[in-house]
Amino acid sequence: MTLPLPLIQALQVLIVAAAAPGINGVIARVEARLQGRRGPRVLQPYYDLGKLYCKETLAPHGASWVFLAAPLVAMTCYLTVPLLIPVLTAYALPLGDMGDILAGGIILAFASFMVAVAAAGTGSPYAQLGASRAKTFAAITEPVVLFVVFTVALVSGTDLPYAMAETVTTSAEQVVRPAHLLSAAALFMVILYETARIPVETHTGTNEFGMIEEARQFEHTGPYLALLRHGSAMKQLILFVIFLNIVVAPWGLAADAGLLAVVLAVIALLGKSVLLGGVIAVIDDSFAKLRLFKITEFVAAAFMLAVLAVITLYLGGG
Amino acid sequence: MVAAPPGSYAGATTALAVLMLVIEFGMLQATLLRAQVRLYVAQSVVISVLAVVVAVGREVPELFGLAVFSVALKVVAVPLVMLRLLRRTDPEIAGSRAMGVASMVLLAVVVGAFGFFASARFGLVSPVLPTATLAVAVAIVLVSFVLMIVRRDVVSQAIGFFALENGVSLASLVVAAGLPLLLEVAFLFDLLVAVVVFAVLIRVHHEQSESLSTAGLTELQG
Repeated sequence: MTLPLPLIQALQVLIVAAAAPGINGVIARVEARLQGRRGPRVLQPYYDLGKLYCKETLAPHGASWVFLAAPLVAMTCYLTVPLLIPVLTAYALPLGDMGDILAGGIILAFASFMVAVAAAGTGSPYAQLGASRAKTFAAITEPVVLFVVFTVALVSGTDLPYAMAETVTTSAEQVVRPAHLLSAAALFMVILYETARIPVETHTGTNEFGMIEEARQFEHTGPYLALLRHGSAMKQLILFVIFLNIVVAPWGLAADAGLLAVVLAVIALLGKSVLLGGVIAVIDDSFAKLRLFKITEFVAAAFMLAVLAVITLYLGGG
Repeated sequence: MVAAPPGSYAGATTALAVLMLVIEFGMLQATLLRAQVRLYVAQSVVISVLAVVVAVGREVPELFGLAVFSVALKVVAVPLVMLRLLRRTDPEIAGSRAMGVASMVLLAVVVGAFGFFASARFGLVSPVLPTATLAVAVAIVLVSFVLMIVRRDVVSQAIGFFALENGVSLASLVVAAGLPLLLEVAFLFDLLVAVVVFAVLIRVHHEQSESLSTAGLTELQG
């Protein structure tokens, strides 16, 4: 039995939207277990979101329409990106060629820009602090992502995510080539930054001066806060998908439109994401949070790896 | 067009060489002097592994001997001496950098890239290792110079010098892997001499100025 392609494409978006909070739940659970605690249920993020979706909305006095529009725009962005990247299939779906990997990056950046603008409009010092910090460090992670994209483009001859995933699967030599290893390491460090994990900040920590991601949403309430929370969980899963299905392990993707292949692809995606989440939980438990001003060092290291990747490729040795 | 990957031997050896360069950058960033020594050990382990890989992959059995010597000297002896010297000093959390870490790394990236592209112009073709590894070796040497220049304490400067020797060993693996073992060993004994000299320097400096920092040396006048 084969599924129509538009259905598979819709399924890509649905899977990301539905599984994203669960991945967060798994990471929180594994982290708690490693610390010797019982930890919350894996489904806890869904209950939290459900509770928030049912609450009433309050907006700060004098906040503009951007404040209420931003969560919706951000969510729309996060729902658009899974159309462009290989979430379930190894072949390009009808809308998959709409944008390349840079387009995906721009859409993700636009979402976080809207959230920052909303935070800046609230007049709350905490939200503004979070927004300005997020943008300051993002200015350093952007070049890293660019260099990773350059590496991808030099290796696969195009910057379409599907083509890159296909190149990686062609031979084991594509996986162990130095440029690939270096750019994967750089991308992983960027993902740690973007998903607000330990060396950069404590995930969901609300009582620290170092918080970035959480502070931005300080003034949002009810369904709007739920949209932002859900959105950041989706962003995390999207970045996991980019890391796993394009760069590191594009295996287990459906090769055709058969029902069985798609179901297996869903299971493979969830399995790989949970594994990566486990790795991130271990990192969360074994490192200390960096001082705010040390984050530039962390990002500079990622930048160095990405630049080395391009240079080794350029010399023909990568 | 898909860029052809290097073969698995070339890919693995280049990856090891690049790993050495990455560790070199780690030394630049490391704040604690002990961490620097540990990174030096890691770098030495990597170059020994690389020698073994070349010995197996290109059938140069002398390199097994070189690997054994370099493990004994660089992984065991040198770090022991350095850590012993550090034990006698106060645990100084080095504030010995002349510039911020991010700008230091950027400077090193620029200098390393210069080394890369400069050596690419040589057009050397090695029978045993891909040409890119020579470029990496030159970059390691240049980044070691940056390390020795921007860190103002004697231990970092010693470690920078030893790391520089690692870069030179890598270059010698590329251009002259078939070198008689005796010459390679003589090379390593040069390192031993350097260790003795630096050990004396560190002790004398520490006894005279009660500190590992070289910043005070500018005040010495006639």
